[in-house]
Amino acid sequence: MKYLIAEDETDLQQAIADYLQKDGNICEVASNFEEAFEKVAIYDYDIVILDINLISGSGIDILKIIKKNKKRAGVIIISANNSLSDKLEGLDLGADDYMTKPFHLAELNSRIKAVLRRGKYGGDEVIEFNEIKIDTKSKAAFIADKEMALTKKEYDLLIFFISNKGRVLSKEIIAEHLCGDDSDLLDNFDFIYVHINNLRKKLTAEGAKYIKTAYGSGYKFIED
Amino acid sequence: MNKKIKLIKKTSKTFLFTGLFLIVLSSIVLYFYTRNLLQNEVEEVLYSTEARVVHALENNENIYSLPPVTEVKKIHLLKKKFLKDTIIYDPSQDEMELFRELSTFKKINGKKYQITVRNLVVETENILVAIVVSYLIIFSLVFMFLFYFNTKRNLTIWKPFFMNLEQMKNFSLTSKEPIHLVESDILEFSELKSEIETLTGKVKRDYENLKQFTEDVSHEIQTPLAIIQAKIDSIINENTINEKQFNQITSIQKDIQRLKQLNKKITILTKIDNNQFISTTSINLTDLINEKINNYKELTSNTIHFTATKNLIISMDAFLADILINNLITNALKYSLKNNAVLISVDENSLVISNIGEKAILHPEKLFQRFYRESTKNQSIGLGLAIIKKICDLYHFDVSYQFTKNRHTFSLQFKK
Repeated sequence: MKYLIAEDETDLQQAIADYLQKDGNICEVASNFEEAFEKVAIYDYDIVILDINLISGSGIDILKIIKKNKKRAGVIIISANNSLSDKLEGLDLGADDYMTKPFHLAELNSRIKAVLRRGKYGGDEVIEFNEIKIDTKSKAAFIADKEMALTKKEYDLLIFFISNKGRVLSKEIIAEHLCGDDSDLLDNFDFIYVHINNLRKKLTAEGAKYIKTAYGSGYKFIED
Repeated sequence: MNKKIKLIKKTSKTFLFTGLFLIVLSSIVLYFYTRNLLQNEVEEVLYSTEARVVHALENNENIYSLPPVTEVKKIHLLKKKFLKDTIIYDPSQDEMELFRELSTFKKINGKKYQITVRNLVVETENILVAIVVSYLIIFSLVFMFLFYFNTKRNLTIWKPFFMNLEQMKNFSLTSKEPIHLVESDILEFSELKSEIETLTGKVKRDYENLKQFTEDVSHEIQTPLAIIQAKIDSIINENTINEKQFNQITSIQKDIQRLKQLNKKITILTKIDNNQFISTTSINLTDLINEKINNYKELTSNTIHFTATKNLIISMDAFLADILINNLITNALKYSLKNNAVLISVDENSLVISNIGEKAILHPEKLFQRFYRESTKNQSIGLGLAIIKKICDLYHFDVSYQFTKNRHTFSLQFKK
């Protein structure tokens, strides 16, 4: 996949690019409005990660150009502004997702994959990992063609793990993902262990021992 | 000085009391002065009559007694003259009448006489009463007119003051409306007006600056936080760290999360202050609560029991409704003992949510204050309840806290 990261903070831009490249994606970067403007006009991308407050212009204008030129790129807005109106404006103009800074790279990655999966951006509605198969349309997970009985959170968690396979996920990252944006229930991590352990048990029962412990308190979804 | 009295009432009262005091005092003085004057007059008449009688006797004229007005008696012994009041029966009117009486003893042409002259006092009494009464009537009329005039005048003079006071009562820091004060031709009021305008202007500017600063800080802090977080996410994916480093780094993630929540909440509070939530729609809170319970079902060891006798439908901003319900539920879950039930019940105009707690809040009056915490155990930011309060204040909902039967209970009344 080919991504464009339009973000004027080069540290953040680089961190995002590094993270996403690990999956074998091609990441191009744009550090200001003009650069981003030029790149979206000339090239085709699968995903554009767009900072709203670019130093010399608004990311919203880039979004308008992408939509005007009928580019098939999926757009994820990243903004330091968590106002609802900004979010609604972005989504109204055709952005596929909106994330407020700061965010976890794993979260961004899983959102990108979700946007791609929605079909029109070249993703596949079915996620596969060895014998695991998830049909995101019917929200069902299969292991060796046998349907698994997963709770909603376990299902979310499995997709999150597979989207970020091979990466270390701390319990903070996982908790934030499961809780969503609204919640500050994160003080209590116990429930995360419950969900992870349940999922792990269900996978292990079918011989899929992919959830590994990393550094004692983190997790990693990886093949042996 | 707890009992407050209105200015106009106070000045009227003073005026009234001073007036009454003056009336009483001057009436008394007038009464005694006039009485004294009249009495002197009567005595003068008596002396004058007596002198004429004496004069007549000296000229050997025949003096006929005319009791009770004049009596001339021959006597053997001279006494000292005296003046006294006496009551004499008046047959013509068939009643006892009060007389002033002067008796003198004189030796005229070798004969000793007692000359007694009397004068009816009733007339003078009547004059006295007439004077005092007319005085009272005139004084009261003048006083009533003055009182009315004075009160009216006071009201007119103080009008700019009262109007400006009313303006100041309605003054709100958060409102964009500037304060409109009335000008007055009275120097002090005019000065007061310009001082208030300067002061409110300054307070408003300071408040705006502070608000802008808060907004800027919470906004500007997001980008560095995003960089820190992205770098941490990168570090934990390097294979060069050990378990101890991993734990330290991921605990930084937790702190970033707290900062993020802090920012978000401050922004919400600022936006409510800025009146940025103006779209009001009809929200079914019963449905919203059900949706939230569904979200939290898998995130907590506590169960949530929800009973709704009727749908609770409230007109408010959808985003704020979401935050309100979310904060109420997360607050209850956060401070509940593990594996206990959070109880929520609603009817058509109230919402009650409660959770089991170990002990009552020490300072319930501070509960809704920003950054108030009673323990650091939960690493709470201390803004959740402040936001609840702010939203309730915005829509004039009534929110109260109670600790009964080991349950922390929050009650919201939506309609009065």
